[in-house]
Amino acid sequence: MKDFYCVLTFHTTHHALNTEKVLKEKNIPVKLMPVPRQVSSSCGIAAEFPCESREKILKLCKEYHIEFDDVHQIQNDKKSNWFAKWISTSK
Amino acid sequence: MKDGKGKIIASGGLVGILAALLVKFGNPVNMGICVACFFRDIAGGLGLHRAAVVQYLRPEVPGFILGAFGMAKAKGEFKPRGGSSPLLRFILGFFLMIGALVFLGCPLRMILRLANGDLNALLGLFGYVAGIWVGIQFLKQGFSLGKSIKQPAVSGYTMPVFGVAILLLLLAAPAFIFFSESGPGSMAAPILLALGAGLAVGAVLQRTRLCTAGGIRDIILIKDYHYLWGLIGIFVFALIGNLLFNFETFKIGFTDQPIAHNDHLWNFLGMALAGIAAALLGGCPLRQSILAGEGDTDAAVTILGLTAGAAFAHNFGLAASPAGATLNGKVAVVIGIIVVLAIGYGVVKSVAQKASEGKAKGGISANV
Repeated sequence: MKDFYCVLTFHTTHHALNTEKVLKEKNIPVKLMPVPRQVSSSCGIAAEFPCESREKILKLCKEYHIEFDDVHQIQNDKKSNWFAKWISTSK
Repeated sequence: MKDGKGKIIASGGLVGILAALLVKFGNPVNMGICVACFFRDIAGGLGLHRAAVVQYLRPEVPGFILGAFGMAKAKGEFKPRGGSSPLLRFILGFFLMIGALVFLGCPLRMILRLANGDLNALLGLFGYVAGIWVGIQFLKQGFSLGKSIKQPAVSGYTMPVFGVAILLLLLAAPAFIFFSESGPGSMAAPILLALGAGLAVGAVLQRTRLCTAGGIRDIILIKDYHYLWGLIGIFVFALIGNLLFNFETFKIGFTDQPIAHNDHLWNFLGMALAGIAAALLGGCPLRQSILAGEGDTDAAVTILGLTAGAAFAHNFGLAASPAGATLNGKVAVVIGIIVVLAIGYGVVKSVAQKASEGKAKGGISANV
């Protein structure tokens, strides 16, 4: 697993769904997910994508009039505490 | 798994265990934590309705708000914001409460009822999921209550101050506050325990964002099961808690369940109404209380809607009782479903109109 990934956050769920549709048509890997906790305390929906496609995606958003809130780069958890370690080893 | 599954299960588990403990120490059965019921009791305590059996200033509610407020403050996440269709939110909150009181419980109590063997809650669960599915169809068509904007700090403090005021009124118990002498409103855990449980739940849920409506929405809409684990945590730990602490009340079946009725159709439709409203609001009553603590004034307006809905539900004889749903309640649920569908339709229509205007200017339509 990579150390980081990128997410787009949105003001409305509808734009998240739209993003998924547009990116899938263009064969850019994308997955909708709950907004990562590090980014916001809201419980909305974000779109996860590999950071390499960032520029391409921002261009597409503009082209397709998709309003997004922000782009974030997220570090994957380093499994720092004992409990997380214990859970990941017992899986 | 990017976000720890353990954390969300544990936060659900905390809610489940505390709910069982609050029943053990005095709350009505299966009502260890019921956000709709508690707002209904507060509305009664303040004299907004005069149903003598459900009047009490439940300290759990200020606990949720202040717990979330404290945690948000500590983590720098207290953000006063608002302005996202407050009136529509008030109405959605109002009818969410009507639906919940015809079923006899908020979505959280629905899970707690299931965890104590009350199979009537299954009908509620089916209704709730169906309602959320309907709400999602509107989301897919572009439904949005609009984005909220930053507001002056003072507006964000409204609900925390309201929480403190409720606590002060509870402690001072002036003559104008109503306290039930019999019925569910008279059954309560000690104030400190109830407040402590509320604070803990508020603080933890501010961190983990557990929400019954959001959980089911994510399953249907994006096949994401993160929050579902939290809901399973509530169920499993409430079940364990009930077996440990409240074994004498545990009974699997449809009949003679505490504060419940078996009008299957109206259990289903009541929660379907709650489900549509919660999906359009983007959160169940518990989640709205947490958001209100974080400074979200739209959630605060939703809470006022819930409280007003509860007051009307008892003033107009809409709330069900163990004897079953009332005729007035059935009519109100039908009206409620029509109103929330109309709100969904109206918003989608105006979004589509805006999109087609955009199209004329060279954009593309935004329909999924």
